[in-house]
Amino acid sequence: MAEEDIQTKLQKYRTAPFDARFPNSNQTRNCWANYLDFYRCQKALDAKGVDTAPCDWYKRVFTSICPISWVQKWNDQREEGNFPGKI
Amino acid sequence: MAHQAHAYHMVDPSPWPLTGAIAALLMTSGLAVWFHQHSMILMAIGTVLMLLTMYQWWRDIVREGTFQGHHTPPVQKGLRYGMILFITSEVFFFLGFFWAFYHASLAPTPELGGCWPPTGIFTLDPLEVPLLNTAVLLASGVTVTWAHHSMMGGDRKQAIQSLTMTIVLGFYFTVLQAMEYVDAPFTIGDGVYGATFFVATGFHGLHVMIGSIFLAVCLLRQIKHHFTSGHHFGFEAAAWYWHFVDVVWLFLYVSIYWWGS
Repeated sequence: MAEEDIQTKLQKYRTAPFDARFPNSNQTRNCWANYLDFYRCQKALDAKGVDTAPCDWYKRVFTSICPISWVQKWNDQREEGNFPGKI
Repeated sequence: MAHQAHAYHMVDPSPWPLTGAIAALLMTSGLAVWFHQHSMILMAIGTVLMLLTMYQWWRDIVREGTFQGHHTPPVQKGLRYGMILFITSEVFFFLGFFWAFYHASLAPTPELGGCWPPTGIFTLDPLEVPLLNTAVLLASGVTVTWAHHSMMGGDRKQAIQSLTMTIVLGFYFTVLQAMEYVDAPFTIGDGVYGATFFVATGFHGLHVMIGSIFLAVCLLRQIKHHFTSGHHFGFEAAAWYWHFVDVVWLFLYVSIYWWGS
């Protein structure tokens, strides 16, 4: 429907690359690991007073592959201090 | 007067299988009624009927075997097969709960925090009461073996003493475990951890109580001179059951209490 050709589409629409740590079709752990890694990265780099830009990779991955409702739920849990993961 | 020309036991007609089946029906439907209509009466009647059935059926078996001599060697062999098959079925019963535990704990979900024990669960120290419980059951395995050897050697007094000690140890385990249950920092409703813990250890505790009762009946029969040094299968069956209960505990201890902490 769009006037974009396949080359443009390949440039514009990207998703997380294959991660060999999670080779099977159930990608729950992939989402979970990247969500944790982003906030752990942020916490660690903030503690050192360094720019947190390197952490953005994890954010892009989990934004791509996680169900939005999960991310919202985990964000709410972190805010309330109920998040079960270790950050 | 016609005699049987074989060594097997053609059992006389008995009402207990029927009352047992009725008891099972009333207990299960009673359970459903309790869930939905808040009345325990049907379940209570079923339980009473079940207890009466068990008492009278097993009393009849003692009469047939010990007093009437129907438990010839081939008959005893059949009873042995029966007990072994029953215990095997119980092994499979517990296998299911161990499956559930390992399914939940080997790949803990994000809801648990991706870790085992789950976030917020404070496990019992395996080196405290659980270790004592392990020692108690292992000791009871020794005393029940002692009782068996005493029985086989015709030593009536030692058989009674060691069998009594076995029952006391079993009772001690039950008391210790009951105290652990009351003081545990988590409940059966605390996620999959609480569920697997209390269902697995709970059924085990039930089997300890059943095994203790079985041994107590054997003690009573030993005191009443039912057993001989060469024929005491009721006691052997109780001892097998008791060892099974001990082995289940060892698996529970290593899996849930130790590895699972």
